Amino acid sequence: MGLDDSLKGFAITFRQMLRKPETIGYPERKTPVFPRFRGRHRLWTHDNGLEKCVGCSLCVAACPADCIRVVAEENTPENRVSSGERYARIYEINMARCIFCGYCEVACPFDAITLENEYEMSERTRGDLLYTKDMLLAPHPKPVPVRSEVP
Amino acid sequence: MADYAPVDLTAEGQVEFELNGRRVSAPAGTMLVDAAYALGVEVPIFCYEPRLGAPIGACRMCLVEIEGMRGLQTACSTPVQPDMVVRTNSDIAKDGQDGVLEFLLENHPLDCPVCDKGGECPLQDRTFRFGPGRTRFVEAKRHFPKPLDLSSVIALDRERCISCYRCVRFSQDVAEDKALVMQERGAAAEIATLTGDQYEGRFTGNVIDICPVGALTSIPYRFTARPWDVTNTPSICGHDATGTNVELTLREGHVARVTARPEPNYAVEEGWLSDLSRFAYEGNRAPDRLTAPLIRDDGRVKEASLDDAVDAAALVLGRGGRVGILVGPTATVEEGFLAQELARTALGGARIQRLGIPGAGLDAIRSQPRAELGDIDGAGLVVIVGGDPPNQQSIVELRVRKARRRGAAVITVGPRPHALEPVGTAVRSEPGRLAAAIAALDLPEAASTIVLWDEADLAAEPDAAGALARIVGDRGASQIELGADVNGAGLRALGLGAGDVLEAAAAGEIDTLLTIHADPLDGPGAADWGWALGRVRARIAIAAYASAVTDASTVVIPAATHYETDGVYVSMTGRAQRLRPGATAPAGAAPGWELLIALAHRLGAPPPYRSAARAFAAAAAARPALAGLDYDVIGVLGAPVAAVTPVSPNGVNGPREAAGTGLPLVTTTRIFGNAAAHRSEALASVRTGAELVLNPAEGERLGIADGARARLRSPHGECILAVRLAADHPAGAAFATTGVPGAGVERLLPADRGPVNVEIEAP
Ligand code: SF4
Ligand code: SF4
Ligand code: SF4
Ligand code: SF4
Ligand code: FES
Repeated sequence: MGLDDSLKGFAITFRQMLRKPETIGYPERKTPVFPRFRGRHRLWTHDNGLEKCVGCSLCVAACPADCIRVVAEENTPENRVSSGERYARIYEINMARCIFCGYCEVACPFDAITLENEYEMSERTRGDLLYTKDMLLAPHPKPVPVRSEVP
Repeated sequence: MADYAPVDLTAEGQVEFELNGRRVSAPAGTMLVDAAYALGVEVPIFCYEPRLGAPIGACRMCLVEIEGMRGLQTACSTPVQPDMVVRTNSDIAKDGQDGVLEFLLENHPLDCPVCDKGGECPLQDRTFRFGPGRTRFVEAKRHFPKPLDLSSVIALDRERCISCYRCVRFSQDVAEDKALVMQERGAAAEIATLTGDQYEGRFTGNVIDICPVGALTSIPYRFTARPWDVTNTPSICGHDATGTNVELTLREGHVARVTARPEPNYAVEEGWLSDLSRFAYEGNRAPDRLTAPLIRDDGRVKEASLDDAVDAAALVLGRGGRVGILVGPTATVEEGFLAQELARTALGGARIQRLGIPGAGLDAIRSQPRAELGDIDGAGLVVIVGGDPPNQQSIVELRVRKARRRGAAVITVGPRPHALEPVGTAVRSEPGRLAAAIAALDLPEAASTIVLWDEADLAAEPDAAGALARIVGDRGASQIELGADVNGAGLRALGLGAGDVLEAAAAGEIDTLLTIHADPLDGPGAADWGWALGRVRARIAIAAYASAVTDASTVVIPAATHYETDGVYVSMTGRAQRLRPGATAPAGAAPGWELLIALAHRLGAPPPYRSAARAFAAAAAARPALAGLDYDVIGVLGAPVAAVTPVSPNGVNGPREAAGTGLPLVTTTRIFGNAAAHRSEALASVRTGAELVLNPAEGERLGIADGARARLRSPHGECILAVRLAADHPAGAAFATTGVPGAGVERLLPADRGPVNVEIEAP
C-alpha cells in the first residue's frame, strides 16, 4: 500500500466532511413521519365526553400479538361511561408486545381506537409499557412532527 | 348447543334417499336436518331443538327443496322417506334461506358489539354462512326498552328475539312450569311470563343456553367475557349426586359461567342443568372461602405458607397418638383413596370414615340392576320411593316428566309432598312406614319399570329396602338410587364406611383428627359430632370453606374446590366422571390430592405417584369396584363403576325405631336452601331459608301459629325454626328443611340420618 492509496482515502473523508449530513440530531430534532404512520394508540371520546369504546373486545379478537386486555362492565344511570350498554372498565395495551399492525383499528366497529403517529414510547421497565385506559384516552405527551406530503 | 339429534347411521331399518346428488341412507323416522347433519350436510336451523319435543317449524330457516313437493319444505319437520330427492344447496333452496335470514334481520338490532351472544351466536354464524350478505330494509326498526329482567338471573332483550319459541317450549313442555309465553303478534311479539311475574323455577337458566340469539342472556355473566377471551372446560357439577355434565367457562383464572356442554351427555343430564348447577359457581369466590393456610399455636392464629402448613400438619399427625380421618361427601375418589393410603401406611392403622349415610341394609336394593338417568325416558313405569328428587337430585325431575309425556305411568311413594307427586299417582306413606306402603303398592303392568329410591329414606328403613328389592327383582326392573351425597358412591366404591371415627372419637379413642372436605358440625348428627370432637385433642382441616371445624383446627390447609381440581366423582347411578379444573385455586390453596401426597411425603411414606391421574390409576388397581377404569377410559362422558358386593361398605345404622317422643321428623334439603346456593349472589333472590312446615291441624294442636317460631327438640339436639302451616303437608309429622347453613336442623338428627321424633313448643 503506497502513499497514493492513503491520499485517496483522505480525499474521500474530506469530501464527506463537507457534505450535508444525512443523520439528524435526535432527540433534539425528530424525523417527521407520514400521516399514515402507525404509532401509539389513542382511545377516543364522543363530543359529549362519553367514551366511544363499548368494551366489545373485537380488537382483542383481531390482535395478532394478543396484547390487548378488555374487561367490560355495564353502564348504569349513575355511572355512564360509554354510549352503549357496556363499556370497558379495563382497557390495556401491552406496548412491549404490540407490533403496530393496526388490526385493532380496523376491527373496531365504533372508531374508538386509532393508531396515531407518536413513536416515542421507550420506558425503563416493562411494566411501564402496559398502557392503561387513562393513558390511551389522553394524547401522547411526546408529539412528533408529521409530513404533509404523501410519498 | 346440541342443535341436532344424534343419528345412528348403522342402525337397523335404514331408508335410502338422495341428498344433494348423493345416494345416502339414514334410519327411518329421522328428521331430514338430523340425517343431513350426520351425513355432513348442514341445514341451517333456529327453532329446531330435538330435546324440546316434536318440531314446530316456527322459523322457516331450514327450507330445502324436495323433488315432487310444491314449494320449499322445512327439513326440521320432514322425516326421511325412501327415495326422496333432497337438495339443500340448489338455487331455489338458497333463495329460500336468504329470504328467511333477510326477514329475520329486518327488525334485528345491530347489537353484536354489545351483545353477550356475539361470537357464539347462531344468528351471526348462520347469517355469515347462509345469508344474503345485504339487506333491502331501510325503514325504521322496532324498538323496545332494554334489557328487561325476566328474573334476577335472566336478562331479556326483546329486540333481538326471533320468535323461535324455543324458550316457550322449554317452559311449557320440558320443565312444564308453564310460565313463559309469547305475547302479541308479528313485530310486537315478545316473550313474557303469563303472570307478569319473574320467571323463577328450578331450571330457568336453560333458556339462556337454547335461545339462538342474545335475547335471553345470563345476568351474572353479563359482559364479563367474550368467547375468544375464555377457555371452556368440560367438567361435572359438584352440587348434587346426579353427576350432571357441565362446561366451565374460565376467564383470567376464575369461573365466569357454567353452561351445559355443547355435546350433552344423553345418559345423564341431556344438556339440561338445574339453576343450582348453573349459578352456584359464584360461591367459589364467596367471603368464607379459605385462601391462606392457618396455624394455631397457644390460641394465637398465624397465616402460614402452604409448605409450612403441611409441615405443621405432618408434625401433629406424626406425633404418635391415635389418628382419625374424616372424608367429606365432596371429596374426590383420589382424595378418598389417598386418605385411605395415608391411614394404612404413614399413619399405620388410623381410623377412617366418610361422612355420609352408613346404609347397612341397602345392599339388597343396590345390587339390583342399575339404570342410568337416560333410561328413565323410555320406561313404561317409573316408581319413585321416598325422597324429594326435584329438590335434591333436580335433573331427575325433567327425566320423569319426559317419561310421563311419552306415556309412562308414574307412581310416587313417600312421606313428603314434592313437585313430582302431581305428575303421577301419589301414594303418601306415614313417616317411617315406607315398608308398609311399598308392600301395599299395586303396580300396573309395564314393559319396563324403573324404580328410583331415596338413599336416606331407605337407609332408615332397611325392611323397605328389602321389600323394594323384591319388587325390582320380581318385575325384572332396574333401579336408580337417589343419592344424598355428591360423591357418596365414589367413596363407597373405595370401601369407605361411615361410622367408625364417630364411635371412636366419642369413646375418647382419637387424639388427632384429620378432616378432608368434611364439616361434621354442619351435617346430620352435628350435636353428636360436636360432643365427640370435644374429646379430640388436635384437629387438622383440609377444607375449601371456613366452618366451625376449621375455626377450631390447629392447622387449616385451604383446598381447591371441585371447580379447581382434577378428580373423579361417581354419580348416584354409578357413573365415574372426571372433574377438570376450570379455575385456578387461590394462591394459598391446593388441590386436596396434592396436599395428601405432600403429607404422605412429609410423614415418610411417599406414594409412588405425583398426579391425580396416577393416584386414580392406583385406586382402580386396588379397588375391585373401580377395576378397569382410568382417566382415558372415563373420557369425556364417563364410564360405569363395577357393581361389587358388598355394595355398601358401611358402619351400622342406628336403631330403626325413631328415638324420642313427639312428631316424627321428615327432612328435605331444598334446591336453593343449601350452602352452595347461600354462597352464590346470583341465587340470592330464590334462595330459601330453614323452616318447619306443619299441617294446620298440628299447628292448632301445638298452639303454634303460621309465621311463629318454634323450638324443636330431639334426643340429639335442638334448634329454633320459623313455622309455616301448609295444608298440603299431612298431619302426624314435622317437616323441616336441612342444609341451610347455620340453621342447625342437622343437630336434631343422628349421624346416620336415622329416624327421630321431635318435641315442638313455642320458644
Ligand atoms: S396494532 Fe396490532 S398488535 Fe398492536 S394492539 Fe393493535 S392489533 Fe394488537
Ligand atoms: S376499542 Fe373498539 S373494538 Fe376494542 S373494545 Fe373498544 S369498541 Fe370494541
Ligand atoms: S343476537 Fe346475535 S346477531 Fe343479534 S345482536 Fe346478538 S350477537 Fe348480533
Ligand atoms: S327469546 Fe330466544 S328462545 Fe325465546 S323465542 Fe325469542 S329467540 Fe327464541
Ligand atoms: S328450524 Fe325448521 S322451521 Fe325452524
